[in-house]
Amino acid sequence: MRDRSLVIIGFFFIAAWPLLVHDVFYQRVGALVLLAAISASAWNLLGGYAGQVSVGHAVYFGAGAYASLIVYTELDWPPIAGAPIGVLVSMAISALIGTPTFRLRGHYFSMATIAAAELFRILVANWTLTGAAVGLMGPPVPRTIADLSFISPIPYHYLFLSVLIILLAMTWLIQRSRMGYYLAAIRGGDRAASSLGVPVLRYKLYALLLSAAFTSIAGSLYAVMVGFIDPDSALGILISVKLLIVAALGGAGTLFGPLVGAVILIPLEETTNALFGGGGTGITFIVYGAIILLVARFQPGGVAALWASLTRRSAARAP
Amino acid sequence: MILLQVVVSGLLMGSVYALFSSGLTLIWGMMNVVNFAHGDFVMLAMYAAFFAYTLLHLGPIVFIPGAAALMFLLGVIVYLGLVRHIAKGPMLAQILGTFGLALVLRYSAFWAFTANFVSLPDTLVGGTFDLGGIRIEASRLLAGVLALVITLAMHLVLTRTALGSRLLAVSEDRNAAMLMGIRPDRMQAIAWGIGAASTGIAGALIALFFYISPTVGESLSLIAFVVVCLGGFGSVPGALIAGIGIGVIEALSAYLIGAVYQDVVVYALFLGVLWVRPQGLLGTN
Amino acid sequence: MLLEASGIVKAFGAFRAVDGADLTVTEGEIVGLIGPNGAGKSTFFNCLAGDAKPTSGTIRLRGHDVTTASPESHARLGMARTFQVPVTFEDMTVRENVMVGAFLRHRTRAAAIAKAEETLLFTGLAPLANAPARSLGTPGRKRLEIARALATEPRLLLLDEALAGLTPAEVRLAIELVRRIKGLGITIVIVEHIMEVILSLAERAVVFHQGKVIAEGPPRQVVDDPAVIAAYLGHHMKRVRM
Repeated sequence: MRDRSLVIIGFFFIAAWPLLVHDVFYQRVGALVLLAAISASAWNLLGGYAGQVSVGHAVYFGAGAYASLIVYTELDWPPIAGAPIGVLVSMAISALIGTPTFRLRGHYFSMATIAAAELFRILVANWTLTGAAVGLMGPPVPRTIADLSFISPIPYHYLFLSVLIILLAMTWLIQRSRMGYYLAAIRGGDRAASSLGVPVLRYKLYALLLSAAFTSIAGSLYAVMVGFIDPDSALGILISVKLLIVAALGGAGTLFGPLVGAVILIPLEETTNALFGGGGTGITFIVYGAIILLVARFQPGGVAALWASLTRRSAARAP
Repeated sequence: MILLQVVVSGLLMGSVYALFSSGLTLIWGMMNVVNFAHGDFVMLAMYAAFFAYTLLHLGPIVFIPGAAALMFLLGVIVYLGLVRHIAKGPMLAQILGTFGLALVLRYSAFWAFTANFVSLPDTLVGGTFDLGGIRIEASRLLAGVLALVITLAMHLVLTRTALGSRLLAVSEDRNAAMLMGIRPDRMQAIAWGIGAASTGIAGALIALFFYISPTVGESLSLIAFVVVCLGGFGSVPGALIAGIGIGVIEALSAYLIGAVYQDVVVYALFLGVLWVRPQGLLGTN
Repeated sequence: MLLEASGIVKAFGAFRAVDGADLTVTEGEIVGLIGPNGAGKSTFFNCLAGDAKPTSGTIRLRGHDVTTASPESHARLGMARTFQVPVTFEDMTVRENVMVGAFLRHRTRAAAIAKAEETLLFTGLAPLANAPARSLGTPGRKRLEIARALATEPRLLLLDEALAGLTPAEVRLAIELVRRIKGLGITIVIVEHIMEVILSLAERAVVFHQGKVIAEGPPRQVVDDPAVIAAYLGHHMKRVRM
């Protein structure tokens, strides 16, 4: 009961955030927190619930971002119209990676995700259609409302919040359904799951496709809000790392873990960027790497598991 | 003729790939933890060789035992402090553990040494051989030959010595090995030590002729993965053949399509092998 | 004929773990697969369960050819199994573990919960329903594996050394459970190397040695078979306790 009231309070706080703060900087951080929560929640479906750890999820984020800005630069469409294309491309790439590796041990999948992410980053960085190393820009001046080009972060905040609610609602429904139990079984052990009639390969692919699709949508939303992408900002390893650390720190495999992780990490990142300039020295990576290492070594369940052990109740994995 | 030169150059680089990939295949064969930081171990060894030269005036070849010893120690420490624990944990911990380590190593080096690359003077092992029209830098030749010899030595140690059979026993059946009085924990620590030492030697060798930068670890790790998958996990001879093969493919790709895309070819090959023959070219299933 | 395996060979390179073994199982019986360690019975068992693909030979389950079928297909056709070293889903509770099995025949959460509760009661695990699986000791995990397998509503249950490592008191409880399972009409094949279990439970014993079946028949008769005794003389023969 206490957990549930916390969730409700948290939700209202997040929903009211841009109206509570008047500084554009803080409103923007709010929107970025939600965007990170969407991406990390998408990663969580595959990495947390199904236990298939992707360390190259940036490729889907980038597909969504690039699809959006390519339809703008080549066809003059509103960028968000590229989102469905991004989703299709992402799902295709994910199937390419997952299908052969899901019948092997988990490490193969993880290695394949790094290889694929790097492969596409190099290709994109050298292709004129994608703007090569320079990147692509969105509409400098909004033409219609469909361009979703707003000066204030507030509309983005509510747009992202809606998408996050949809994603989390879907995750919650899955968690409670047969699919949720089957994914948890797969996480618990392929061989045992299979012996109980769980179609292991099929369900891993379901989780993968969903995860890729929503990560791609997050990428499209990012492109729409920021208006500029390049191979590093959309496809670089930092994106892959950020997605998974937000989910893992908050609590992989829990419903609100990624959101908690986003609330902790994104404001930290934005504040240090503002105070000390961009991550030119790589300190961000060192910190992220250390966090990932410590979570893996000491508390793979993240903050959620820590919270659960502190309140001495089992973590809300499956109802 | 240029083609032949490219192939030879690839063969030599491939030997070095085979060396550190053998270390990875040993580690991975022993236990269910893949070392995502393997390439970054090589990077550390490269910097160690660089500083051994600039500060202590020790050439990389002379430094090889030192590099091996340093990295052996690092491997054992990583095993005892991290790997031993994550191996018992969920898959998430197993993957993220060494992945986090890789990031810490890579970007600590980045922060300490900046993105600019350094290199050892090419007068160290200078000169170029001309064998029937093929020009080979002496440094590359030396590195490739030494790497080959050491990899073969590794294979012999694993298959012909008592230590080697103990290691193999643990990798095959941990419980049975325990019943025979072998301590799996100790063997796994040694395996990590040897695996890391192979990166130490490889790093010192590469430093002879290649540029040293903090981010080489990323592509070297992936190359190690590809080699281990192609060669069959747990097999040093497999890693040798696959490593040399990848070296040649990489060199040919650079020559035919451009250096920018050489990695793309290797990664695409990796994904292709996973589709077609994941047990590796020499693996059995 | 519920299960028919004929001419099963499983080779690893030059080594034949199973070298031409046959087994037929009729509905309602309890068959014991015994033999010293390394005799090939576990490998044979894995072939039956779909976990390993036989090098040659055929396996028919309820008339369907399942020689190369996946473990999932086996489960759907009504064959369930437990593992020698229990692989329970550590992150989930006892009830949730069993629900995974229940979902095979029950699509909705409510139906799966109901089936799980029923199975937990039957196997005596109801008091532990909310406990995390990882908190169970070995006997509890073995029982949980059985419950989980039962929830898939199998016609044939394969038990892989389900009684190994248990104390005599626990063994007696496990034997009682197996008898109750048979009472449900489920056919059971049990792999064991503890003679006592086979003598108390199995109606028919099949003895493996070096990948082949060397004797078959009522347990008491098989135990006295000179070929069987010779096979076991190389290994410790468990003292028969009543």
